[in-house]
Amino acid sequence: MEILQNLALGFEHALTWQNLLFCAVGCTVGTLIGLLPGLGPLATISLLLPLTYSIPVTGALIMLAGIYYGAQYGDSVSAITMKIPHASSIVACIDGYQMTLKGKTGLALFTAGVSSFIGGTVAIVVLATLAPALGEVALLFGPADYCALMAFGFVCVSFVTTGSLLSGLAMCIVGVLLGQIGTDVNSGTLRYTLGLPFLSDGIGLVSIALGCFGIAEITKNLDAKQDRTPFNGKINLIPTWPEFKRIIPSALRGSVIGSFLGILPGGGPSIAQFAAYAIDKKVSKYKEEIGSGAIEGVAGQAAADEAAARTSFIPLMSIGIPENAVMALMMAAFIIKGIQPGPNMIAGHPDLFWGLVASMWIGNVFLLVLNVPLVRYWLSVFKIPYAVLFPSILFFCVIGTFSINNSFDDVLVTAGFGLVGYIFLRLHLDPAPLMLGFILGPMLEENLRRALLLNHGSFTIFVTRPISATLFALIGLFVVWQVAAFFLAARKGGKAPMHESEEAAGEH
Amino acid sequence: MNNLNLVKGLFLVALSLLFGLGALNYPLGTFDRAGPGMFPLMASSLLFVLGLIIAVRSFVVEKLVIHFNAKNIGIILVSLCGFALLAEYVSMILGIIFMVFVSSIAGISYSVVRNIKISVSLVLIALAFQKLLGVQLPLY
Repeated sequence: MEILQNLALGFEHALTWQNLLFCAVGCTVGTLIGLLPGLGPLATISLLLPLTYSIPVTGALIMLAGIYYGAQYGDSVSAITMKIPHASSIVACIDGYQMTLKGKTGLALFTAGVSSFIGGTVAIVVLATLAPALGEVALLFGPADYCALMAFGFVCVSFVTTGSLLSGLAMCIVGVLLGQIGTDVNSGTLRYTLGLPFLSDGIGLVSIALGCFGIAEITKNLDAKQDRTPFNGKINLIPTWPEFKRIIPSALRGSVIGSFLGILPGGGPSIAQFAAYAIDKKVSKYKEEIGSGAIEGVAGQAAADEAAARTSFIPLMSIGIPENAVMALMMAAFIIKGIQPGPNMIAGHPDLFWGLVASMWIGNVFLLVLNVPLVRYWLSVFKIPYAVLFPSILFFCVIGTFSINNSFDDVLVTAGFGLVGYIFLRLHLDPAPLMLGFILGPMLEENLRRALLLNHGSFTIFVTRPISATLFALIGLFVVWQVAAFFLAARKGGKAPMHESEEAAGEH
Repeated sequence: MNNLNLVKGLFLVALSLLFGLGALNYPLGTFDRAGPGMFPLMASSLLFVLGLIIAVRSFVVEKLVIHFNAKNIGIILVSLCGFALLAEYVSMILGIIFMVFVSSIAGISYSVVRNIKISVSLVLIALAFQKLLGVQLPLY
C-alpha cells in the first residue's frame, strides 16, 4: 500500500502541465536526434543536456529521462527501417530489418512501440518496489565496499560491452585517470592541468561524450563514404488481431528478463536484448520463424531493452553507483542539478524520486501515442543528405559544449577528444567503459583513501569485510575464468579467437 | 607495425607512462595518509600491466589491420578549432561559416551554394537559440 501512496505522490508531481510538456519535448527531440546516424543515447543526452539547465529540477530530470527513452526508440526505428545499428539496437536489426524487407515495416514499428510500453510498465513496478529496499541495504556499505562495488562494476561493464575484459578494463582505467585531471579535493593540488587554468575544474563529461561518441562517429561515417538511401517504403501501423496476440507473450518474457538484467552491475539494455532474443529463440511458439522477420524477434528484445533501461536506474538511485555509461551521464546531470543520487535521495527528495518514477511511465505513454503514429514523419530526417547533416551535427556539438560554461576552451577540449575518440575507434577500444571510469574515478579515489585511512594503511580491510570480500572473490573468479578460457582456446586452435568486431565498439 | 593489437597495447602503455610519470611529480604520501600522487600512480601501474599484456598477447592472437584515415579527422579538427578561435576572437557567425565550409571538404561532394544555405540556416538557428531560448551565444 505504501508503494501506491508513494506512486500517487509521484503522479501528483509529474502530472503538472509543465512537466508533461517537458516529458513530451524530451521524448520527441530525443527520438529525432536518436534517429540521426552516429548519434546513440549517450551522444543525444550530452547534446541535449544544456537544454535542461534553465528548467526546474523535477522538470529537468523528467525531460532527461524522456530524452533517453526517445533516443532509444529512435535507435530502434533506424535499425528496423534501414539497418543502421547503434549498440542499443543491434538485435532490432535482425528481425526488424527482415520484416522491412518483407514489407511489414509498420507492423515491426508498432510491435517495437507496444513491446517497449509493456517492458517499461513491468520495469516501473520492479523499480518502485526494489529501489527503496535496496537503498536500505546501501546504508550498510562502507568505503571498502564501495570500492569493491565499483571495481566489480568495471569488470562487468568491460566484459559485457566489449566482450574483451582486457581492453574494457584498460579503458575504465583510462577514464579513471582522465578523471584525475583538475584539483585534488583532499589537498588542493592541481593535477595534470599542464598549467592551463581552465583545466583546474577538470574536463567536462560532455566534452568527452561528444568527442568520443559524436565527432568520432561522424568521422567514421565520413570515412565510409556512402550516402544512405532513405527509407521510402509504405508504413501500415495497425496490426491484425492474431498479429497483436503474438506480441504479448514475447513482450512479457522480455520484460521480466530485461528488468532482472537491468539491475545487475554492467547490465542494461545491450545485454538484456541479446538475452531476451536468445530465450525467445528457444521457447517461443514460433521459434522457427525467428531470424527471418518474426514478430517475436522484435517484441521480446524491444521489451527487454526498455525494461532494462528503466531498471538500470535502480543502482544509481538507491546505491549512488551508476552501472553503465548512460547512467554515469545521468548521474552527472543529477549532480549539475544539485541532487546527489544515493540512499539519501529517496528519503530526502521523495517528490523527486517518485516524480521521476511516475514520469517514466508517462514518458512511455507519450512514446506510444506520439511517436508510433508520427514515425513516418520522423523518418523524413533521412531524406536530408549526409553532406548537409554532418556540418549541422557538428554545429550542435559545439553549441552544446560551449553553452555549459560559456567557454570556447571547452570546444577545443571537445575537438581534442574527437581525435582521441577516433584513435580509440580505430584501435577497437570502446569508449563506453571510459565514461563510467571517468565518473566513478573521483569516487573510487575518495573511498579508497578513506578505507585505507580507517584501516591504518592496510589493505586487509578489503578481504575482512564480508561485502567487499565477496565482490573481490567474484572478480577473482571471473579473471581466473577468462585467463583459463584464453589458454584453453589458444592450445586448441593455435590462434585464439578474438571477439572484437567494429560493430561492438558502440554505446553502453 | 600494422598490427592492431600490438599498437593498442603500446598505446595504452604510453598513456600509462604519461599519467604514471606525471604522478611522481605530486606528493605520494603513505597508504594511511595518501597524497595526491598515490592514486594516479596505482591506477596507471595497473594500466601499464594491462597494456603490456595486450601487447604481448598480440603475438599469439589473430593479427588485425588498422584502418586509420588521417584526412577526414584532420579536416574536422581544423574546422572545430577554427570555429573556437574565430568565435572567441572575431565573431561566432564567422566561426559557423568557417566550420561549415571547412568541414564539408570531408563530404563526398562539395558545393558552395549548398554551404551558403547551410551556413545561413545554422546562423538563423543560433539566433533563435539566443533570442527565444535565452542561450548565451556571443554571436557578433
